[in-house]
Amino acid sequence: MIWALFVTAVKALVLILALLFAFAYITWIMRRGLARFQIRLGPNRVGPFGLLQPIADAVKAIFKEDITVARADRFLYWLAPFLAFTFALAAFAVIPVGPDGWVVANIDMGVLYVFAVSELAIYGVFLAGWASGSKYPLMGGLRSIAALVGYELALGMAILPVVLMAGTLNLQEIVEWQKQHGYFIIYQFPAFLVYFIASLAEMSRTPFDFAEAEQELVAGFHTEYSSMKFVAFYIAELLHWIVGSALIATLFLGGWDAPFGLPEIPVLWLFVKWALFIFLVLWIWASWFRTRYDQMIRFAWGVLLPVATVWFLITAYYVVKGGMA
Amino acid sequence: MSLLDLFLGALLLLTGFLAVRLKNAVHAALALAANFILVGVVYMLLEARFLGWIQIIVYAGAIMVLFVFVIMLLYAAQAEVGADPLPGLKPLAAAVGVVGFLALTYAFAGAKAPLAAKAASAALAGGTAEALGPLIWQTWLYAVLLVAALLLVATVAAVTILRPGEGGGR
Repeated sequence: MIWALFVTAVKALVLILALLFAFAYITWIMRRGLARFQIRLGPNRVGPFGLLQPIADAVKAIFKEDITVARADRFLYWLAPFLAFTFALAAFAVIPVGPDGWVVANIDMGVLYVFAVSELAIYGVFLAGWASGSKYPLMGGLRSIAALVGYELALGMAILPVVLMAGTLNLQEIVEWQKQHGYFIIYQFPAFLVYFIASLAEMSRTPFDFAEAEQELVAGFHTEYSSMKFVAFYIAELLHWIVGSALIATLFLGGWDAPFGLPEIPVLWLFVKWALFIFLVLWIWASWFRTRYDQMIRFAWGVLLPVATVWFLITAYYVVKGGMA
Repeated sequence: MSLLDLFLGALLLLTGFLAVRLKNAVHAALALAANFILVGVVYMLLEARFLGWIQIIVYAGAIMVLFVFVIMLLYAAQAEVGADPLPGLKPLAAAVGVVGFLALTYAFAGAKAPLAAKAASAALAGGTAEALGPLIWQTWLYAVLLVAALLLVATVAAVTILRPGEGGGR
């Protein structure tokens, strides 16, 4: 019992460090990548290829003045970045990176856990928006809650057919099912499309980054934050990108399973698939426009949810008729 | 009853009390959200794990978020102070509270657990989705459909009442 707890704690610690390291270099990839897309150079002065830029940024953020605005609700203003950061980190715990022991928490309802954590993560955003006592953060918070309500539904509806076909809520077993039968991106392409679009909204990345649309809202919900509190939000936001990409790779692209009969190496294959989605999101970010707020809400309720529901019913019919068995 | 149960019970009471007593509606809503999460934890400790997750997703996630959205949208965080709009209500509420407390105490004193805790855990089969599914979609299908119809009626009614234009609504 104690030993199991200890092992889990060590795994969790390794995962947290890996995620924070990934975050630091995601900022570098993001800035260099976006610069490439826009025919600029990007940060290239600090270290070779600008590789030490994240460290310089961290040092700068730590030494900035930590401001609390006068009209803030002090306790909640302080609590919000912690909540955002914690829930963003927690979501990765159930994603398997390799067979058997290669997951922090192999719980039998992993999909539900991911949902619960990603829904609770919205509290950070909303509290920041409200506790800042200022209008732009409030609008940013309101927008992200309205978006969450629409897109979480589509997201859930898009996972259901996958769960139905695999017959399990455990992410490890979903990966093993795909290892045996082939990846869900083949069987469940409509669900994959809906899931991918909805998770762009979850990560608040480009077509749907209106919660912090800088032309309209300064910086949205974290306008009034500075120093390490701002960094906490920044980390949380990029972690949603990191975790969201890993989750798509796990649900639809076979997770840690080695494709095309290549040798099985833990971590590596999930990393490759994960990097694919990271790049895809960056690509969309660099080349697409931001949708208007009302358009995207209409899109969530009027297009994604019906498509996901119809596809769910088709899958259910197929499974009941004994399709995959 | 373990120490953890007592601790969770105390936290449940505390968050419930705060949800009622806090003056700021956003603070009260957060206390309620914490309360919902704790209820989910208690469900999980009682081997009803699926129910626990659903409690957190539906109540702490969906319902509280909608609650909070409305509070923010209407700038309704600060309670209105001044004249009590319903003066006679407080004593009545106190009386109902006392009666409710007595009824609960009576029920608690006379209650017998239908199954011993160990047998109950076994019967719940870990409270997984697999164990719960047949109960919902076979044994109690009729009741589930009735509830679904009721919710649909409520939704249609809400949309009809708030439809802009003809009569009422905005």
